[in-house]
Amino acid sequence: MPTFNHDVVIIGSGASGGMAAYILAQAGVKCLMLEAGPMVDFTRHRSMKAVYDLPFRGFGEPGRFPHITQASEFDANLWTDEKKNPYSHPESDPYYWVRIRLLGGKTLRWGRASWRLSDYEFKGKDHDGWGENWPLTLADLAPFYDRVEPLFRVSGRNEGWPQLPDGKLLADDSTESLSMERFLASAKKLGVPTTKPRRATGTLASSVNLLLPAAQATGNLTIVPNAIVREIGVDPKTGLVNAVHYIDRRSKREYTVPAKTLLLGASTLESTRLLLNSRSRQYPTGLANSSGVLGHYLFDQFYVKNTVTAIVPEARGGKGPRNLMGGAGYVPRFTNLKPGKPEKNYLRGWAWDFGSGGTPSPELFPQWGDELARTMADVQGAGFSMTTMGESLPRFEHKLTIHPTLRDEWGIPAPHIEQRYTDNEHNMAKDAMETGVALCEGAGFEVLAAHSQMVPPGESIHELGTCRMGADATKSVLNSFNQAHDVKNLFVLDGSAFPSGGVQNPTLTILALTVRATEYLLAQKKQGKL
Amino acid sequence: MKRRHLLQTLAATPALLPAQQTNPSPDENVVLTVVSPESAGLPVRRFFTPEQFATLQTLADLIAPSLDGRPGAKDAEAAAFLDFLLAKSPRDRQVLYQRSLDTLNRTARTKHQKAFSELGPTEANALLAPLKVKWTYAAPTEPVAAFLRAAKADIIRATTNSRAVAEANIAGRRRATGLNPYWQVIE
Repeated sequence: MPTFNHDVVIIGSGASGGMAAYILAQAGVKCLMLEAGPMVDFTRHRSMKAVYDLPFRGFGEPGRFPHITQASEFDANLWTDEKKNPYSHPESDPYYWVRIRLLGGKTLRWGRASWRLSDYEFKGKDHDGWGENWPLTLADLAPFYDRVEPLFRVSGRNEGWPQLPDGKLLADDSTESLSMERFLASAKKLGVPTTKPRRATGTLASSVNLLLPAAQATGNLTIVPNAIVREIGVDPKTGLVNAVHYIDRRSKREYTVPAKTLLLGASTLESTRLLLNSRSRQYPTGLANSSGVLGHYLFDQFYVKNTVTAIVPEARGGKGPRNLMGGAGYVPRFTNLKPGKPEKNYLRGWAWDFGSGGTPSPELFPQWGDELARTMADVQGAGFSMTTMGESLPRFEHKLTIHPTLRDEWGIPAPHIEQRYTDNEHNMAKDAMETGVALCEGAGFEVLAAHSQMVPPGESIHELGTCRMGADATKSVLNSFNQAHDVKNLFVLDGSAFPSGGVQNPTLTILALTVRATEYLLAQKKQGKL
Repeated sequence: MKRRHLLQTLAATPALLPAQQTNPSPDENVVLTVVSPESAGLPVRRFFTPEQFATLQTLADLIAPSLDGRPGAKDAEAAAFLDFLLAKSPRDRQVLYQRSLDTLNRTARTKHQKAFSELGPTEANALLAPLKVKWTYAAPTEPVAAFLRAAKADIIRATTNSRAVAEANIAGRRRATGLNPYWQVIE
């Protein structure tokens, strides 16, 4: 018979769930963590294999992942099975929902780019009139960024730019290759700022190695893998959360656990799906949805992969000095930073990741046979490429709703997801491509291919919004501490809380917000308010 | 059976001479040498018609020929692998391959009164002219051009990822590629 001695229930074990456990368990709070997926054993589950020994020679099983382009035949078993976990989208607007249901969630595979948001995002409406401001500023969140960056060993270079706030970083003092120097000079000439990448370092930078072990060492964290939460229960008298109903992933047996305080970090779309599936007399349109905006204002960051692919001519044939190729960099948003009318034919802006030293894909060359083979030998390691990340604007009509009939393998109603890119995003992508070509040409590179075709919404795995925070309870679900306006013992910690997202990868901000929210929770508990 | 496969099979067969027998071990942690199904037998073709397959084989050899001692599509048995892959692929991909291979063959017969697989290199390469178009993000709308673009990528990948190429890289003391961490089913 279980003993229900936990103070909080945490749903999800990724960035937000893991960080919540890390803070609360070390503060003496008893935590029960429910994770929908199984636990990963890196020794038992992972081994080295040659691509020719895989059943599909590295192509992967055809049709297994229609929406997960990131899945390879090597790591296919990490990604969420869409047949067991279906969702729908309008036929004309594909949505690529990329999920990992394992202990540690997407922190097992994240790209690790770790940029702070700035007041261009937190106070975006003040700057250009679009959307809503966040109910907090950079000054409010900076002390929490300061604590997260060292924990995740973020390396990079501080530049003092207002749109890309400095952090507590491991200094990246590496020198540039000659090709990078040429590109940076070309960028400078055109007034485009550049910096080093800013990334979490270490062999693994995940919740499972950086957060959960420390939390569990306190004796205050109980982790329950394979627990798929179906619904959140509410006390009909108080309207507060009082229980969590979950299903054993393997046996499909159902369980209920009491909840004094609930922290939800199941990922942007899963958290909102769960709230919408938790309807009751008090909350007929979904838990904490008196505003009617739950599920709405879905957005992400659009990606144009390999916007520009170029060749550094001096590197052809393996010639050139040894330090000619190699290295990576980042261009932060630099458009529309001045207040007033936008200088471009779009609002907000975009950023680039760029790198030197790869080999361009053979499909980019209009050749085949011996000619292509000789070209590929000639350009090996001589490539330069740029990928665009752009801000997409949150819109009410971009939303997650519950499908009327579709169910997952556990009988839980599945989501229907609607998001499409508009002229604002397309204009941005086109500007990024044209600027990228100019920069590469200015550096003396041969531009091999350029395009502005963004991947479908969702594919960047930066889905955000749908449970946004705000100062006005009639226009938002959460307050500035990620606490539901309607339900005081409910906190939603993941990317669903974002009212806007800029171009910066969101995980660092999710981690910082979670530290801030959980310490507020501790203070509230101390004051007897929770 | 090819000589390479035969040698691999022989190498994996335990010797049975009494003088070389080892004592049975009570230990359950035994390690046996095994080979993959692909190394032991010849693949059975299931998808393309004989004529389509012959066309694909010729196309594969044109796109990824053996060069300077490096294996090409023929050594990698890329066409046979694609027959297997296409049999499991979504219907629209299957149709693109089947119809386009038929079209290539029909064009060859119309222009040269021969099957595509019987054409000389100059005649056959001339039919691959749609591949000379500059790359664009969107695939070509003309079906044969779209097929040639897809097939080029598939043939090169099936060749690059083959055992034949890996073995040649190792033999030539070039860096063996394609070794990566593999994730088992996690239950």
